[in-house]
Amino acid sequence: MFFRRYWFLLVPVTVFLAISFLWPLASMLVGTVYSLGKGLSLDLYAKFAGDAFYRSIFWRTVKLGLIVTLVCILAGYPVSFYLSRLGGRRKAVLLALVIFPLLTNSVVRSYSWMVVLGRNGFLNSLIRWAGFAKEPFAMLYTPFAVVVGLTHLFLPLMILSLTSAMENIDDGLMEAAQSLGANEVRVFLRVVVPLSMPGLVVGSVLVFTGSTTAYVTPHMLGGSRVMTLATLLYQKAMVVFDWPMATTVAACSVLLTAAVIWGLNSISRRMGVRT
Amino acid sequence: MKAGKAGKLFMVASVLVCVFLLFPMIVIVLSSFDPKEYMSFPPTGFSLRWYRHVFNVELFRVGFKTSIKVALISTSVGLIIGVPAAYTLVRFDFWGKATLQSFFLSPLIVPGIVLGCALLKTLIISGGLPIYYGLILGHIALVIPYTIRVTAASLMNLPVSVEEAALSLGATEVQSFYRVVLPNIKMGLLAAFLLAFITSFNNVPISLFLSGPNVTTLPIQMMIYGEYYFDPSIAALSVMILLLTMSLVYLVERTIGLTYFTASH
Repeated sequence: MFFRRYWFLLVPVTVFLAISFLWPLASMLVGTVYSLGKGLSLDLYAKFAGDAFYRSIFWRTVKLGLIVTLVCILAGYPVSFYLSRLGGRRKAVLLALVIFPLLTNSVVRSYSWMVVLGRNGFLNSLIRWAGFAKEPFAMLYTPFAVVVGLTHLFLPLMILSLTSAMENIDDGLMEAAQSLGANEVRVFLRVVVPLSMPGLVVGSVLVFTGSTTAYVTPHMLGGSRVMTLATLLYQKAMVVFDWPMATTVAACSVLLTAAVIWGLNSISRRMGVRT
Repeated sequence: MKAGKAGKLFMVASVLVCVFLLFPMIVIVLSSFDPKEYMSFPPTGFSLRWYRHVFNVELFRVGFKTSIKVALISTSVGLIIGVPAAYTLVRFDFWGKATLQSFFLSPLIVPGIVLGCALLKTLIISGGLPIYYGLILGHIALVIPYTIRVTAASLMNLPVSVEEAALSLGATEVQSFYRVVLPNIKMGLLAAFLLAFITSFNNVPISLFLSGPNVTTLPIQMMIYGEYYFDPSIAALSVMILLLTMSLVYLVERTIGLTYFTASH
C-alpha cells in the first residue's frame, strides 16, 4: 500500500535499539580488538587463551552446556511426543505445567534447588531418613547441582521446540508405518525422530546458548567452585574491575553462541532439514 | 498411532518430567511455612512468620517497587514504539524488511549477561548516564522482541479487508487504526503486555550490572539477601512470586492461549 507514508513508524524502535542495544554491544566488542592507543591487536584474546585458569573455565562451560543439552534432548523427546499427540483439556494442563516453570523467576528456581540439594535439604533428609547414610552428601556447589539446575531451567524450552515440530507430523505417516509392520519403537525412531529435526535444532540452540550464558544458576548452585564464563565475566567486571578481561570474556561467550548457532544450522542444512 | 506399551512409557516419562519440573517448587512452598530460623527439610511446624517478615525487610520493599516501576515503564515504552513497528512490518513489503525484522528480534539471541556488561560499560561508565536510565533502556531493548512478535502474530490474523472497509466508508487512516485495528488486536496487546512484563520482572543479567543504591530490582535483592541469610523469608517471597506467575500464566492462556508457545514463529 503506502509504505512511503508509513516508514516513520519504524524509526522509534530502530533508534531505541540502536542506543540501548547495538551501539553498546558493538563498541564493547570492537573495544576488545581495537583501542585508540594501541590500534588493532588480539592481545586480550591471546591472554585469555594462554591462561590455563581461563581455558579451564571455558571448557567447563562448554562441557556443562553439552551435558545439559543432551539431558534435555533425552528427557524432552518422550514428553514432547506425548504432548503433541494429546488434545483438549489434558494437553492444556500438561502445557501449563511445562510453561509455568519457564515463566518463573530464575532466582526462585535456583533457590528451590538449594533447598532440595542442600546439607539439610530435602534429598539429604530423605537419604538420612531411609538410613542409606549418616553424613549428608555434598551436592550443592558441585557441577552436578549446576547441571540439575540448568536442566530444570531449560528443559521447558526443549519440550516446546520439539512439540511444535512434532505437531506438524501427520498421524497418517505413523499409521502407514505401523500398518507396514513397524512396531511403535521403530515408528518413533524412524518416523518421529527424523521429522522432528527442525525442533531439535532450534531446541538445542536455545538450551546450549542459554545454559552456557546463564548467570544465576551457576552462581547460586555452583558458587566459586564451579565457575563458568558468565560468573567469570561478572567477577572480572564487578569484583576486580578488570574491564579489558571482562569484555574479552563477554566476547568469547558471544563467539561461542555464534559458533553453535552457525554450526548447528549448517549441519542441519547439509542434512536437508529446514528450520 | 495406536497406543501400546510404548505409549504408556511415553506417558510415564511425561509424568516423571513434570514431577522433576514441579517438585522443587512444592518443596519451597512447604519450607516457606517453617517457623525455624534457617532453612531445612522437613519443616518443623506451621507459621506465617516469614511471610510477615518479607514485608518488614526494607530491601524487598524497595526492590519490589523498583522492579514493578522498571517493568511498567519498559513494557509501556516497548508497546508504544513496538506496536506501530509491528503494524508496518505486517502490512507492507519493502526493501530490507527481513533484515530489520531480525534486528528487532536480535535482543533475544544476545546473551543477557553480555548485554548487561555492554550497557554498563558504554552507557554508564563511558557515557555518564545515571544507572536508573541505563536500567530502563536495557529493559526496553529486552522487551521489544516480545511486544513486536506477539502483536505481529495477532495482526496477521486480522484481514486487511477489514481496514479497507473502514477506509472506503470514509475513515481516515488514523481513525481506522484506532477504531478498527486496535480493538481487534486487544487480546494480542494484552498478551504482549503480560509477556513483556514478566520478562522484565524476571530479568537478572541486565539488572545485575545496572544496579546501584536504590536501583536494585527484586530478583537481585533476593540473591544478595540469600548470600547473607538462609532463613525461610526467601521461600515465602518465592511463593508470592509463584502466585503472581501463576496468575500471569492463567491470563496468557485466556488471551492468546498457551499454544502460542508451541506455534512456530
